[in-house]
Amino acid sequence: MNNFGVIEVASTKTKNAPGWAYVPDIGPSPAAAALQPTNRKRAVRNQTALSLSDVSARQDTKVRKDLEALDRDIHRDANIPIPPKPGAGRAQNKHTPNVRKILQSQKTFANHLDDYQALLTLAETNPAAAAALANAAPTKPAVPSTSARNSPAPTASGGGGGGSSGGGGGGSKRSAALAKRAALVTAKEQKEAAAAKKAAKVKSEPVFEAEHNTTSGNNDGGDVEMTDAPPTSGPGEGAAEVASKTTPSGSATPTAAAVSSGSSEPQLQPVLPPPPETWYQADGSMLPAYKRKPPVAHPGDNDPLLVSSRVPRFPTDDELCALMTAPPLSYLEARAGWGDEEGRYPVRTFCEVCGYWGRVRCLKCGARACALDCLQTHKEECFTRYGL
Amino acid sequence: MAGGAKSRSSGGPAPPSKTLVLDNGGSTIKAGFVAAGDNADKKPRVIPNCLARDRHKKTYVASELDKCKDFSEIDFRRPVEKGFIVNWEAQKEIWDREFFYDKALQKCDPASTRLVLAEQPNSLPALQSHCDQIVFEEFGFASYYRGVGPAFNAYHDIQGIFRTPRAPNTPVNFPAEIILLIDSGFSHTTVTPILQGRPLHQAIRRLDVGGKLLTNYLTRLISVRHFDMRSEPYIVNEMKETACYVSLDFKGDLEKTWKGTRGERRQDYLTGSAGIAKDYVLPDSHTRFHGVVRDYEPSVSARARKGVVVSTEDILTLRNERFVVPELLFHPSDIGIRQPGLAALVMQSLSVLPEGLWPGLLANIVVVGGNALFDGFVQRLQTELLELVPDACTVRVARPEDPIVSTWLGATNFAKHVHADRLAVTKQEYEENGAGWVARKFAAGLGVDT
Ligand SMILES: [Zn+2]
Ligand SMILES: [Zn+2]
Repeated sequence: MNNFGVIEVASTKTKNAPGWAYVPDIGPSPAAAALQPTNRKRAVRNQTALSLSDVSARQDTKVRKDLEALDRDIHRDANIPIPPKPGAGRAQNKHTPNVRKILQSQKTFANHLDDYQALLTLAETNPAAAAALANAAPTKPAVPSTSARNSPAPTASGGGGGGSSGGGGGGSKRSAALAKRAALVTAKEQKEAAAAKKAAKVKSEPVFEAEHNTTSGNNDGGDVEMTDAPPTSGPGEGAAEVASKTTPSGSATPTAAAVSSGSSEPQLQPVLPPPPETWYQADGSMLPAYKRKPPVAHPGDNDPLLVSSRVPRFPTDDELCALMTAPPLSYLEARAGWGDEEGRYPVRTFCEVCGYWGRVRCLKCGARACALDCLQTHKEECFTRYGL
Repeated sequence: MAGGAKSRSSGGPAPPSKTLVLDNGGSTIKAGFVAAGDNADKKPRVIPNCLARDRHKKTYVASELDKCKDFSEIDFRRPVEKGFIVNWEAQKEIWDREFFYDKALQKCDPASTRLVLAEQPNSLPALQSHCDQIVFEEFGFASYYRGVGPAFNAYHDIQGIFRTPRAPNTPVNFPAEIILLIDSGFSHTTVTPILQGRPLHQAIRRLDVGGKLLTNYLTRLISVRHFDMRSEPYIVNEMKETACYVSLDFKGDLEKTWKGTRGERRQDYLTGSAGIAKDYVLPDSHTRFHGVVRDYEPSVSARARKGVVVSTEDILTLRNERFVVPELLFHPSDIGIRQPGLAALVMQSLSVLPEGLWPGLLANIVVVGGNALFDGFVQRLQTELLELVPDACTVRVARPEDPIVSTWLGATNFAKHVHADRLAVTKQEYEENGAGWVARKFAAGLGVDT
């Protein structure tokens, strides 16, 4: 940490021109429409309308294909087999059934993502079916007592959280998705528990192994059994709001926590965790008063006109608590979207040949070029691709 | 051991004294051990996280790649996809050879070791569960914590990075009070606000532009404009790392590197575009195994254009390729990616947080990951942010000395911190409670302090 020096620190307050620029363009073009900053919404709409034309469709297709290629692992996906082990004859560990399945899986990230999204969709349209699917464990069902404890909350609390208050754009969409996921949790929980139990058993009783081999074969929806985010989805949404309403003094939950983690129950529910809220509050009900430095005082702090606008209120402990304990978003929820806000960045177009501004368009395919030189070069390629 | 599980308090083993810290990245693994009393500054071993096969069909696993000299036409197979461990067949082989085989360079006995593993935010539950199962059921680590990589960066002397004035010998408290961590790596770029070591999950945002995409894009540009480099990922990646930069004046630089219309070359262009043009000497696989960046020599390239052989060197002149490639981090729409650039990504993250947190976050932005090494990255980010934030906000952006190992270094500090005991899970707990329980405990994180 001491050698953790600095190479660059930038902290000047100079406002330089940002890195984008507008380009004049020949022909109908969204970029040209975007020249008027006030028109940016319309510019975005124009763009979609334009894409209906053949020329733009060709261009769209090309862009899509290009992006797919850029996303692939470098150049081509090499299928390099695992070379033989060094220092021969090292006894191969015997894998557990879980591990064997994982090692054999040839699923890509896209496959896993599809599985997950499919389950979410199913949960939305047909929660019962999703639950059944998620619950389709080949072996014994989970301990019955688990469902009683876990079933009530998710859907109800998820649905209630709907419109996130703190969130800006995309917030409500995200919390809706959270609610969807919550619906899955109950079912998954049981399956997971069963699987874990299974794993533990295999260790002690080798006899079971054969049985599991066969069952894991026909259960190749395998990943379904994997865990979801914690079933805290409810409390996470509309953070501030929920926190202040439901946990003003940490009244109900800590007691519940004390009960569930107390000594009376452990044997009853060996595979079940206490409700996740207890993680946050296991050693204390609430975030302590915020003792560190408050935001820098400002002479205008007490000016009623400025209080709300110039010096934003520092979040309350409840708000901070809600923020710090909110559950993770899913992979797609965390992907930054192209919101309306970003309409302020005009789409820039470049010469496909040399990379300079794309000031002229090929009438056949919509490709851009900077000037006649490059357009000529492009046309030769364009001819090979589209003919005529 | 606050928050320790009941199994431990009822006579369970004490936590292992040694921790293996792994930042298992898409391009490289950062790996090293830390023990409780360690005070010395450490460096991780940086291991290629791949299987590679050269053009003579020789296969290299992970650090064996150090022995490879000729990288031309080399192929890679990577266990990590989109930042997450997807292919465990390959990942296990790599871990086996680096950490568990008898002759492993960092030999480790999992049964007496804790593993602290950094993962990218917003993983898929199935992949997390796979990882946890392998860690316990296959390798048998005594204790384990899998945490969001960016958050480990809070366990640094952040104000030291910013050179905030303070009295000498001021004690440094971990974790840092508040930081906004930007991690721009091989697979993607993420923004993570972190309060007292807790990542604010609802505000984590991802831009799907990372080093891999940039290298692929440079490969495309060169293959269209110069010669086909599509089977030379290693060489192009090296070119990207040594020759590319983030422009602070994109429009101006683009102007300077434009050749002009109709055959007549502009003066600027002929004289090397005000220093932007560089000659890149490609490796020849005999005497030179790495590329070399040189100042642009008009005469050399002029003769080369006329087909006069001046030397045995393969030289290509890089112009706008040097800055339009990293530009994708700030303008992904330049190639049609419908996502905001980095500065707007930060604003999207802030937009779901109370405004009262903005000043603290904006004044403590730390950038890590390989892309942070591009010249101009820090200044450009700051310039663009200043355009977007409220006037009263100060924007400070800093890059640690080695942004590639920053997450690992933070994780070693974490491993020595009481938080590690609070968050880690023992093998016994896993066996008793199952993978789902472990996943939930990790996802819940630290919660709040008393
Ligand atoms: Zn051109
Ligand atoms: Zn065309």
